[in-house]
Amino acid sequence: MESVLELKDVARSFPRGIVALRHVSLTVGAGEFVAVMGATGSGKSTLLHCAAGLDRPSAGSVRLAGREISRMRERPLTRWRRDRVGFVFQSYNLLSELTVRQNLALPGRLGGPRRRDIDEVLAAVGLAGTGRRPTGELSGGQRQRVAIARALVTGPSVIFADEPTGALDPTTGSQILALLRRAVDREGVTVLMVTHDPAAAAWSDRLVLLRAGTVATDAATPDAPTIADRLHAVSTAVAR
Amino acid sequence: MIRQALRRNPWSFLGPFSTQVLAAALVTAGLGISASIDRSPMAAAARQALTESGLPDVAVLFMLLAIYLSIIIVGVTMAAAIAQQARDIALVRAIGATPGRVRRALAAQAAIIAVPATLLGVPLGSLGGRAWIDGVVTHGLAPATVTFHPHPAALPITLAITVGTSLAGALIAAIRPSRMRPAAALAESAAPRRRIGVVRTATGLILVTGGSGLSVAIADLDAETTDQLGLYVMLALCVGAGLLGPALLRVAALAGRLFGDVGRVAGDTIGVQAKALSGALVPLTLAIAFTAVKVIMMKTTQHATGAMPPAADRWLTFSGTSVYVTFAAVAAVNTLVTVILSRRRDLAITQLAGATRRRALAVVICEALLVTGTALVVGVAVAATTALPLLHTTLGTWTPWVPGSWLLTGVLGTAALVLTGTALPAVLAMRRPPIEVVA
Repeated sequence: MESVLELKDVARSFPRGIVALRHVSLTVGAGEFVAVMGATGSGKSTLLHCAAGLDRPSAGSVRLAGREISRMRERPLTRWRRDRVGFVFQSYNLLSELTVRQNLALPGRLGGPRRRDIDEVLAAVGLAGTGRRPTGELSGGQRQRVAIARALVTGPSVIFADEPTGALDPTTGSQILALLRRAVDREGVTVLMVTHDPAAAAWSDRLVLLRAGTVATDAATPDAPTIADRLHAVSTAVAR
Repeated sequence: MIRQALRRNPWSFLGPFSTQVLAAALVTAGLGISASIDRSPMAAAARQALTESGLPDVAVLFMLLAIYLSIIIVGVTMAAAIAQQARDIALVRAIGATPGRVRRALAAQAAIIAVPATLLGVPLGSLGGRAWIDGVVTHGLAPATVTFHPHPAALPITLAITVGTSLAGALIAAIRPSRMRPAAALAESAAPRRRIGVVRTATGLILVTGGSGLSVAIADLDAETTDQLGLYVMLALCVGAGLLGPALLRVAALAGRLFGDVGRVAGDTIGVQAKALSGALVPLTLAIAFTAVKVIMMKTTQHATGAMPPAADRWLTFSGTSVYVTFAAVAAVNTLVTVILSRRRDLAITQLAGATRRRALAVVICEALLVTGTALVVGVAVAATTALPLLHTTLGTWTPWVPGSWLLTGVLGTAALVLTGTALPAVLAMRRPPIEVVA
């Protein structure tokens, strides 16, 4: 299997001696759906930021879509990210004053690839006909659909999702996860998702559990109750 | 992104907008004054006398002031407007906007609002210029044949200047926010960065030291040179003090502890908001320092020589000073309003945590007083550094003299200004039920 994302001994520490990640290594193949879980402060968001080129590791290397990005300069890095990566965050995902269509057109207007048709992508996420509405008027679930559509519209190789269902109710949340799942199954997109919700993680193929900035377990995703047990185990191990 | 910012936080652009209106008015007035002097019918001797009186220089001075001040103050107020967009900037950076593109978009915001600001400022400037020329003639500083002639190219020249200065100010303000790593920006808007940059502190120290050094160096030169270089001493000191502002405000925050629990909360808030609030410190310091220098010079001269300067001279000084002070006051109030409005949510949370509206307001007022105190101390220090060499060269004395009633007016005026920018918007912001603001 061809690898899309390769982290080698990645460490990231912040001023005042806070260490978020210590020597994390992780290889993600094309078309894999990986969930990253861990207690608050275990470094899962930092891992996502470093893997996606939103932040730079203090040590180690990150290969994203076949290119070493941890030492890249800001401008080429931004372009690389723009052309290969899509993002879905928990909230503040969209420019609220712009319409759905304007939000989807944004990556293209920023010089990104326009590999897919906006209307087709909107239809794929179940939002056909909403293109002219301001995103500020949409419900939380609809906004997250727009965010996924915006991530898909450039035809990325990887989508990074940071708590994509964190602000949603379980039913709406599972609709969003089904969209990510479909992108993996039908389009061969790779998804790396950070979440604290076992039910959300259960949609993935592979589960990575972090504990205090290191990988505690990395295995095929079990069912939701087992995920909850494992998460509980790594979380309490830290507290002790 | 430009559209998003302008629609989402229109009030945060009030600062740059009003600065640009004033700058446009000042440039237009300056152009008009110079055109009026050139075009009014006058005898050759009268023209010669007028030129020597230095009146045409005032026009040039107005324009230079407009350029300096609008770069500095548009920069300061745009920094506040940009801070409100941290989330959006992080988002567009994440999905593929390069730092350069973000910088250009932010500069374009400033340039776009400069256009309506100029259209509003140019007629205001014509009125101001006309009033000034009338004043000059009434005070016998120019022959009665001098009448106001608007400059034919006032609009394009003014527009070029306001757009140019806005671009410059905004580009400077945008350097740091645009270079931030997107991950840091996403986290930073949740918890604002409290550390003060080394470059910022170093530049601040260099400017303050340089300004003080220049002040000492010019103390023994002739009166005219000292007078001209004094402006640069003051600008260097004010910008330097502004860069050191967060540190200064943190010292002021400690002073808050003297005022009990309310003061402690106010002090803590100032500590956290030090960076945003220091945006208001620059214009406040400029206004206080500039006025103080003029007042010190005039009153000490009067005290030392026992003679009032001629009414015409006083009128000239006051018309110039009031222009300067209006500029700075508008900028200070705007920055404070932006800071308070960006804290609507915090105020609501304070109320939800059990503070009555009155108590929450008491905290805001206490903050305002601490900021006022800091501005007064810094402003007076800058004024003293600027004025003492001037006093020494013109009067041979090192002791300034200002009547107590004037000092009191200055203190009350500053406090009133700061309260307008803080307590007033806070009262308005707190009229909505807190739970509505938080949701």
